[in-house]
Amino acid sequence: MTTRELPFIDFEDTYDGLGDQLDDDQDAFNDDTFGGGGPAGPSSGAVGKDFDFFGKTATVADAIGEEQIRYALQNPQAVPVAGQQVQPAAQPEPAFSKRSGYEKYSDPGFIPDLQAKSSVWGVSQKKPEPMPMSMPAMSAARKMMSLDEVEAQMQMRNQGYQPSPVPQAMHPHLADPSAYMRHPQNIPLPDGFPTIPPRGHASTARKRWPSPGDASPPLPGCRKCMAPPPGIPGMPPHLMQGNHPPQNMPPQVPPPTSRGPNGGLPVITDPQQLVHLTEEQRNAYLVEDAKRAKRNHKIFLLSRGNGLMTPQDKNFITRIQLQQLVAAAGNVADSDPEAVLAEDFYYQVYSQIRGAPRQHPHQPLGHFAQTYLLQTGNRIGGHGNRRAFHSADNHMQRMQQQVQRAVEAAKAKPKNKQLIIEGSLGKISFSNAKAPKPMLNIKRPDSSEGPRPKKLHSDLSLSDRKSILTNIEGVYSGLMSMEDMERHSRIFRHIDQEQRVTILTMIVVHLDSLDVVHLAQPVPGEAQLSVAMRESIDLFSLAVMPSLLGYVNEAPFNIIIGLLGLVIAQTHVQTVARTKVGLGILTMLLSRAEIVKEAGQASEVDWQQWVAKFNVLFDTLEPALADIFTSSINSGDDMYVWQFLAAVGIGASPEQQQRLVIAVKDRVMETVAYSKTLPADMASSRLGNVNLFMRAIGLDVELLG
Amino acid sequence: MLFFSFFKTLTNQTVTIELKNDIRIRGILKSVDQYLNIKLDDIEVLDLDKYPHLSSVKNMFIRGSVVRYVMLPRSEVDVGLLEDATRREAANQAGKAR
Repeated sequence: MTTRELPFIDFEDTYDGLGDQLDDDQDAFNDDTFGGGGPAGPSSGAVGKDFDFFGKTATVADAIGEEQIRYALQNPQAVPVAGQQVQPAAQPEPAFSKRSGYEKYSDPGFIPDLQAKSSVWGVSQKKPEPMPMSMPAMSAARKMMSLDEVEAQMQMRNQGYQPSPVPQAMHPHLADPSAYMRHPQNIPLPDGFPTIPPRGHASTARKRWPSPGDASPPLPGCRKCMAPPPGIPGMPPHLMQGNHPPQNMPPQVPPPTSRGPNGGLPVITDPQQLVHLTEEQRNAYLVEDAKRAKRNHKIFLLSRGNGLMTPQDKNFITRIQLQQLVAAAGNVADSDPEAVLAEDFYYQVYSQIRGAPRQHPHQPLGHFAQTYLLQTGNRIGGHGNRRAFHSADNHMQRMQQQVQRAVEAAKAKPKNKQLIIEGSLGKISFSNAKAPKPMLNIKRPDSSEGPRPKKLHSDLSLSDRKSILTNIEGVYSGLMSMEDMERHSRIFRHIDQEQRVTILTMIVVHLDSLDVVHLAQPVPGEAQLSVAMRESIDLFSLAVMPSLLGYVNEAPFNIIIGLLGLVIAQTHVQTVARTKVGLGILTMLLSRAEIVKEAGQASEVDWQQWVAKFNVLFDTLEPALADIFTSSINSGDDMYVWQFLAAVGIGASPEQQQRLVIAVKDRVMETVAYSKTLPADMASSRLGNVNLFMRAIGLDVELLG
Repeated sequence: MLFFSFFKTLTNQTVTIELKNDIRIRGILKSVDQYLNIKLDDIEVLDLDKYPHLSSVKNMFIRGSVVRYVMLPRSEVDVGLLEDATRREAANQAGKAR
C-alpha cells in the first residue's frame, strides 16, 4: 500500500516511466492478489455494493495519517498554497472564502497527473482497497482536490457526460485531508455502501446537482450519514465546470478534455470505463497517457515558478524598474535646457558645432520610459483583454501616475548616498544610472576646514605653478560665465517677428547716429580708426549683423522697400556710406531685393517702387562714391566696399552702371595695378574682390589686364 | 556624466577598445550608456590569431566595467570644448559637494 502510494506523494517522482512499464496483459494474478473473480466491473464480483469501505479503510487509517505528515514534510509549499485556493462558487465554505491573487495559477500541472494515475487505476481495476488509500494521498498530492469534486465528476462521467477537467478548484477545507481521513470512524457508514468508495461520496454530489440522467438512486443511509449541506436543486451538472476557475483563465496547460487524439478516449478514473475498451484502445490509451504524462511533467517543471508572483507583484517590480529609469534620466529630460547643458555640455555643444545631431540614441530615457508605459497600455488595451479591458487601462494610468509621483518623491528626497546599518561592518552605497555606485568613498574635508589650508598655500607661494594654474582656471571660469551670459543675451532669435521689425527699423532709422557709424567717420590725416572703434565695429558686425541679415533674408519685399526708403529719408546717406556698418546694411537690403527679383516674387508695383527708391539712392550716393573707400589701397580692408558696389551694380540700369564705373574706375585700376606687386595669393584675393563688382556689371578684371 | 556626454559624440565613429583582458576590438561605436557600456558594430579583433573564438563575432555589447582604454579618432575630438566641458564638470562637482 504505502509503496504504491509513494509515486503519488511527490509529483516530481510521479512520472517515473511506470506508464511505459504497464502491461495490460499482466493482470493474471489480480485474482490472487485481490481475491476477486475475473475482470468484472466494480458493481459485480467480489467487490460488490456491499463492500465495507470504511471498515477496511479504518484498519489502515493510521498509515494514511503518517503518509499525510510525510507528504506535508516533503512538500512544505504545497499546503500553504492550497490553503489559498479559491472557493468554488457553488459550494460556499465560509471558513476559506478569502480570495488571493493565485486563482489563475492553481497549478494546472496537476491535472494531467491525475490522469496518469488513472491509467494505473485502469490496470489495477480490481483493487478496491488501494483506491481509498490512494485517494487521500492523491488529493494531497493534487493540492487538495476535494473528494466531493472528484466524486461529482466521476459521477458525471458515469452519466455519460463529457469528462470535465479533473477538479482544479480545490477545497480549502480539505487542505489537510489527513484530518478527514484520520477519523474515518467518526463517519459511520452502512455496509451497503457502493463498491467504488468515491461513489458513495458521489451521492452527496448527486444530491447537490441532481441530474435527470442519474440512474442509480442515492443510498438513503449514506445521505443521512454524510449530513450534506442543503442541496442546490436544479443546478445543472454543466455548471460544475464553472466551478473551475482555472478554466476561465488563459490556461498554461490545455484542459485535458481537449487533448489530442485521446480526446475521444475518456479519461479513465472509473475502472468501469476501461473494461469496455478494446485492447487496441487500451494500448493506445496507455501510450497516449505516457506521452501526456511526460509532457505534463515538462510543463510542470517549467511552470514551477508560476504563481510565485501575483500580477500585483509583477506590476510592483515593473514600477520599481521604471522609477529607476525615470529617476535616472528624468531630471535631465524634464528640467530646463540649462540643466541639460550642465549635465551634457560637451555633447550638446559639440552637436551644435558639428551640425545637426546624427541618428543618436539621443532621446532621453525619460521619454523612453513614458513611451514604454504608453505602449504597454496600448498593448494591453489593444489586445482586448477579455477579462478586464477597462481595468487594464486604468491600471496603466495609475501606474503612470505612480511613476510620476515616485519620481517627484525621489527628486524631493534629500539624497542619502549611503546607508550604514547599526552593528554592520560595511555600508551600503546607493546608486542610480546617473551616479553609479562610487568605488571609493573618500571623505571630503569639511567646508570649514577646506579653505584654510588652501589659503595658506596660496599665500606662501604665489608664484608656484599651482597658483598660476589656479589663476588661469579662474580666468576660464570667468570666460565661461560670460559665455553663459551671452547665451541669454542673444535675444534676437527668441523675440517674435514684430519686435524684430521694430528693432531693425530702429537701427536703420538711427543708422547715422549709431556709434559705430557716427564715430566711425574717417578722420582726415589718420589712416585708420582708433583701435577701440575698430573693435566695436567688429563686435557689431559679429553680433548684430548676422541676426539682421538672417531676418532681412526672410523679410517680405515691402519691408525692404520701406527700410531703404527710411535710409534715404531719415539718414545722411553719404555719411552712412562711408562706414563699414552702413555699407553692410545697404548691401544687405540691395542684395535681398535682387534675390527677390531673381526669384520672381516681387510684384510689378513693388518693383517699380523699389526702382524709384534705388534711383534716389544712387543719385544721392554718386558724388560720394569716390569717398566710400575709406581705407588706403594697401590696407586690403575693402572687400565690403566691393560687395556693396557689386550689389549696387547688379540692380543698376546700364546707364547707372556706366556712371558707377566712371566713379570707381580709378580705384579699380589702382587695385589691379597694386595687386601685380603682391604675392600671388594676396593678389588673387584682391582681384577677386574687384571682380565681384566687375562681374556684377558684366565685366571682368581680365579685360583690364 | 562628462564621459557619457563625450562618448555620445563619438557614435558612428570607428573606435578601438581595449578590454581589461587585453583583447582589443575595433569597430563602429553604435551607442553608449550611463554606465559606459558600449555597443560596437562591424567589429574586428586585433590579434585575432590569439582569440580565434571571436572570429565570427560581428557585433558586441561590452560592459563598461571591463573596458581599459578607448582609442578615439583624433579628428573627432574638440579639445578646446572638452577642456571647457571638464571645467564645467569640475565646477558642477564642486557645487554639488558644497
